[in-house]
Amino acid sequence: MAHAKAEQQQPTTGATLIVLVGLAVVFLLFMAFLNVVKSGNLLSETNLLYAALIFYAGAGALYLGFGVTGTQSYLKFASFSTWLGLIANTAAIAHRWYEAGHAPFASVYEMLLSFVWTLAALTLVAEKKYAVKVIGTVTMPVAIVGVLLMQLLRTDVHPLVPALQSTWLHVHVTLAMLAYAACALSFALAMMFLIQDKLKTETVLAVTSASTLAIYASIVSTRFEKWGALNLVAWNPETKSEVFLSRGVRLFVTIPDLGWLMTLTSLVVASPLVFYALARWKKSDSFLTLANRAVFLSILLQVMTVAIFMLRARDGHYPSLDAEGLFQTSLAASPFIFSGLVGGVFISLLYLLLLWRRPDLERSLPTADNLDRITYKTICLAFPLLTLMIASGAYWANQTWGSYWSWDPKETWAAITWLVYALYLHMRITRGWRGRRAAYFAIAGFAVVMFTFFGVTYLLPGLHAYA
Amino acid sequence: MAVEANSLSGKTLSGKSVARKIWQAFASIKTGVILLIMVVILAAAGTIILQRPVTDPDEMQRAYSPQALRLLDSTGLTDVFHAWWFLGLMVLVSLCIVAASIDRFPNAWRYFSRPYKYPDESFRRASRPQKLLAIADEESGLVAAERALHSLGFKPERVVREDHFGIFAERHRISELAVYIVHASLLLIFFGAVVDGIWGWQGTLNLNEGQTSNAVELRDGATRTLPFAIRCDAAGQENYQDGTPKKWWSKLAVVQNGRDLQKKEIVVNDPLLYNGVRFYQSSYGPNGKIDKLMLEGTPSNGSGARQEIGIALNQTVTLDADTTVRFAEFFPDFAVRDGQVYRKSNDLENPAAHLVVTSKNAAKDFDVWLPQLDEIADNSKSPYQFNAIDLKMGHFTGLQVSHEPGQWGVWSGVVLIGIGLAVVFYVVHMRFWVVPICDPKTGKCSLWIGGSANRNREAFEQRFNELVTLVEAELKSLPEPVRQEQTASVAWN
Repeated sequence: MAHAKAEQQQPTTGATLIVLVGLAVVFLLFMAFLNVVKSGNLLSETNLLYAALIFYAGAGALYLGFGVTGTQSYLKFASFSTWLGLIANTAAIAHRWYEAGHAPFASVYEMLLSFVWTLAALTLVAEKKYAVKVIGTVTMPVAIVGVLLMQLLRTDVHPLVPALQSTWLHVHVTLAMLAYAACALSFALAMMFLIQDKLKTETVLAVTSASTLAIYASIVSTRFEKWGALNLVAWNPETKSEVFLSRGVRLFVTIPDLGWLMTLTSLVVASPLVFYALARWKKSDSFLTLANRAVFLSILLQVMTVAIFMLRARDGHYPSLDAEGLFQTSLAASPFIFSGLVGGVFISLLYLLLLWRRPDLERSLPTADNLDRITYKTICLAFPLLTLMIASGAYWANQTWGSYWSWDPKETWAAITWLVYALYLHMRITRGWRGRRAAYFAIAGFAVVMFTFFGVTYLLPGLHAYA
Repeated sequence: MAVEANSLSGKTLSGKSVARKIWQAFASIKTGVILLIMVVILAAAGTIILQRPVTDPDEMQRAYSPQALRLLDSTGLTDVFHAWWFLGLMVLVSLCIVAASIDRFPNAWRYFSRPYKYPDESFRRASRPQKLLAIADEESGLVAAERALHSLGFKPERVVREDHFGIFAERHRISELAVYIVHASLLLIFFGAVVDGIWGWQGTLNLNEGQTSNAVELRDGATRTLPFAIRCDAAGQENYQDGTPKKWWSKLAVVQNGRDLQKKEIVVNDPLLYNGVRFYQSSYGPNGKIDKLMLEGTPSNGSGARQEIGIALNQTVTLDADTTVRFAEFFPDFAVRDGQVYRKSNDLENPAAHLVVTSKNAAKDFDVWLPQLDEIADNSKSPYQFNAIDLKMGHFTGLQVSHEPGQWGVWSGVVLIGIGLAVVFYVVHMRFWVVPICDPKTGKCSLWIGGSANRNREAFEQRFNELVTLVEAELKSLPEPVRQEQTASVAWN
């Protein structure tokens, strides 16, 4: 939506986008309403979450729209939409809490619910208190991806296994969510600092292209199957779970032709990087123009890839190399591939925004010095929270497993996150690291946080298996 | 590090200065950062490479080729967190914290213990923020400043030296030392962990209901005998409706010299503590042994009533005046080969029970198998016919046992670090100085107000401006007579 707007290049009247977004929200709410009438259940969690998604998406589009056109009035509507999304999100949490009988911290799904809530709340705080008006441009897409992921992950209310029945669960997870959301905020602020600090647009181009390439390359390198097919985890729609061949060994289905599509897209996604390298080598700006066109092309292709991926993964029965017969798959079976693809589109769109509307953005952001200071303040908030999160986890582990530290991967990575931010603080306080280096550090810190949150859960299983 | 290398190559350096250089290298932030980066890298490696203590040996062999495994084992990478080099690295980190703290602490302590109360002229010139207000005389300026500081919640102090005087006020001086509190509490946590590493131990103790034991199996496979024993009186599991476990509990008793010293029902998250040893509920499950077999027996000749009995293994139950039955053997998962019954596994998959019915009159034993096993025995000869109604399997309760004498160091360190961090980030050491300055030639006086904060300077500047406004207001509101009286008194001095 925002992308289509961006293409127009001319901010005609400020009202156009608001009307469009408003219409889209109304349309989606109407569709949702039809659904509600059919099921006869208005305040179900799904509906509330859906409402939150719609409002967050609306807010995201308006924030982007503000970035693109610089129309101040978008902002008011954007934060209003964020408020509505936050209310729906709160209601969804309350509903789940009531239904499950425990605070929503027991699974990745429930933690995402809380994480998105904290992120939206902090966005509003940053907007009101620190006047970082466009922070939503970065945080709302993260929230949207979060809500989308939630739609894919399992939503059944699971009763708490014995180890989780402790007050410390709430203390530990609340602290974790607060800390992680503060880290996310510092990441967004550091990105904005880089823009205000006159980071060259083409450097952003290179980084954008490299990270989308990394997404596609990792998908292709791990999932490409002979004759252009793509391997995806099989999904059993009845049990709503992945299909296992034996304990810990997942069954993969091969979807024909998707592999070629992914390869093609990764080549196109890589092309801006190639043009950028050529421009640096030949010292010619004409290659940069080509690179920007390539970004545009890559967005089109990426959107197409996401669409085709969704269509193919949702329906249809596919063969497997490891077992006889046809199996189904689902988006829920590959949440990380899906969010990677969606994330790729988002970062490319953010680049376009920067490319076309940089002066407007710069005008509406606080000064670089201020952003630098607020980033530091956010980390000053995140660091004690991280410390307390680790400490409460250790205390709880001592009560449950009989040992306060067992070098379980999640624990180790939490400690690594803590160390990375500790390094940031030392560099900043004793070495006077300011500006760019500090911003890069904050960005790297958030990458580690994300790995601790998601990567460890899915890649390095251990005692924290349930979360 | 570079410093260290230089000092070694320099021939003229004496031993004392080498030691000094090594000390400085340790105290430098650079060394600290390098060490922390190494910890990060190695710890990350420890989560990516499979670790021996928590992985099946088979899985290790499947994951890595023999050569790779040998290499990983010999470098300790398969057990990073217990490797000597990781421990050594942690020791170096601790030394680095100690050195850096000792290096910097005296300065901070001087700053803390001897606050700078009277700003000299050069300090006044450089100080930011500062403000100069016109006043009628010295005393009225000082009184106004004192009142303003009081109303802001400060306790102003008059500083009187031989040739000058002024006002000093401060708040939260502790903030200057908070960083040392944080680092000291880290050391305290490390200390606790080291104490646990040396004197602490962890293991498991599996008890069947009614069993008493004092032998704890440690993580490395050794057995540790406790000076007291633990008896499990009962244990159980409660389930949710969907069958997932909701609660495991065990009723434990501490036994020594035949006496019960302590009793407690433990659940997950609520251990039993005795003599520094903690017993945690960690699992619960069937132990493959039968607790009780519920039977229904009917006399074969149809002369008596049907009766229900519960019988434990090796127990003999009297059926009537003439007949008894003994529960001789039990197989949770059986197979028959060559006229023999074998135990296939300990899982309750395919159970078989062997009963021996004894008739006094016939002076004969009859073998009864449930289910009927034609190859082994003919059940119909027995004077009683049996039906198995239910099997009550025995259960064990899995206890984690740990002794962590150093954990108090860890927890006090955690509390201290929490307080320390809160102070470091959110408690600001604020200082205000007020000095009246009179020009001896013109006789005109002005009031110099200066302030400083060790962090969050923007917010402090607002505070400062607030103070200045208050002082201005106080100056205006001071009644005329007071001013004159005090002027007079100053003049007398």
